[in-house]
Amino acid sequence: MHRARRHRERSGLEVNLTSLIDVTFLLIIFFVLVSKLNEVENVRLDLPSPQEPMTVLPDSKQQVVINVLPDNAGGASAYRVGVIDFPSNLAGQNAMKSHLAELYQANPGIEVNVRADRSTHYEHVEPVMRAVSLAARIAAGAGAPPASGMARINLVVLKER
Amino acid sequence: MITDSATTEIDDDQEIPVPPLRGRRGRQRARMNVNLTSLIDVTFLLLVYFMVATSMTGREQVYRMDLPSREGAGPSDPFTLDDEPLRILVSSSADEAQPYRLTIDGPYPQPATFQALHDFLRSKQVNEATSGGLFDSKHPIMIEPAAGTRWEHAIEAFNATVTARYSNVTFAAPG
Repeated sequence: MHRARRHRERSGLEVNLTSLIDVTFLLIIFFVLVSKLNEVENVRLDLPSPQEPMTVLPDSKQQVVINVLPDNAGGASAYRVGVIDFPSNLAGQNAMKSHLAELYQANPGIEVNVRADRSTHYEHVEPVMRAVSLAARIAAGAGAPPASGMARINLVVLKER
Repeated sequence: MITDSATTEIDDDQEIPVPPLRGRRGRQRARMNVNLTSLIDVTFLLLVYFMVATSMTGREQVYRMDLPSREGAGPSDPFTLDDEPLRILVSSSADEAQPYRLTIDGPYPQPATFQALHDFLRSKQVNEATSGGLFDSKHPIMIEPAAGTRWEHAIEAFNATVTARYSNVTFAAPG
């Protein structure tokens, strides 16, 4: 009888937490990396939020994000394609067009998302659309047309819930 | 009363094990236990933080738009007449009461708001049931924002057009 009682006292329930901590740290590393990518690609902008927008969720396939970085006067200080900044002048626009053409040639099915601040003037957003259109034509001339046959662009807005 | 033995006798029927201070049996029984509670607390706090922080783009959605080729002539059918696009001019102003202005090119009533623009376009769309309307859903519509037009107003005009169920909507080059 004494032996059985001592046995019950010593056997405590122990939960093995090793795998839980492993998975948790993996999730943390994942979210750290994703948030870093978001900070670079999705610049904090005051996006337009139209009323009852007829928008769709962006596809999960490969995308290029172009951010129109605003200045204080409604202009654009630079265009950020992925992680590369291009000046907003004519030379920068041409460089951006060449870069986009290379991306189209490498992956004809790529989609281009354009993010611009709601206060940015249209004449500073339109060069992005023109650069995408011309880049698609350059890629088409090089034998790699966009998958849809025409340059398609995604205009990013904020949909209020 | 403490003795050299491994147990202390308190009562006749109760024995409490007492680890010996030294010896081989003591080294076998001593176990290092790391308290992981605070580690798990911090880890879960970090996890929750990053999960919340990375959901910032969840409300972002997109308009899909096919870009026309504005440079160079493309192949065309000489026996078809291209529809003249309906031009919608948009401009922004500093007036807080009326921060934008809309103009439809042609002999049409001029909308004061984006909702009025939507209603006009919807009412003029060809309706097979009533055989009325002016424009079919593929009629080209060109939005022409003036210099200095805020991007939000250009997007609102675009939204009013596509929610009126027109599919061939483009932006014009700035004038």
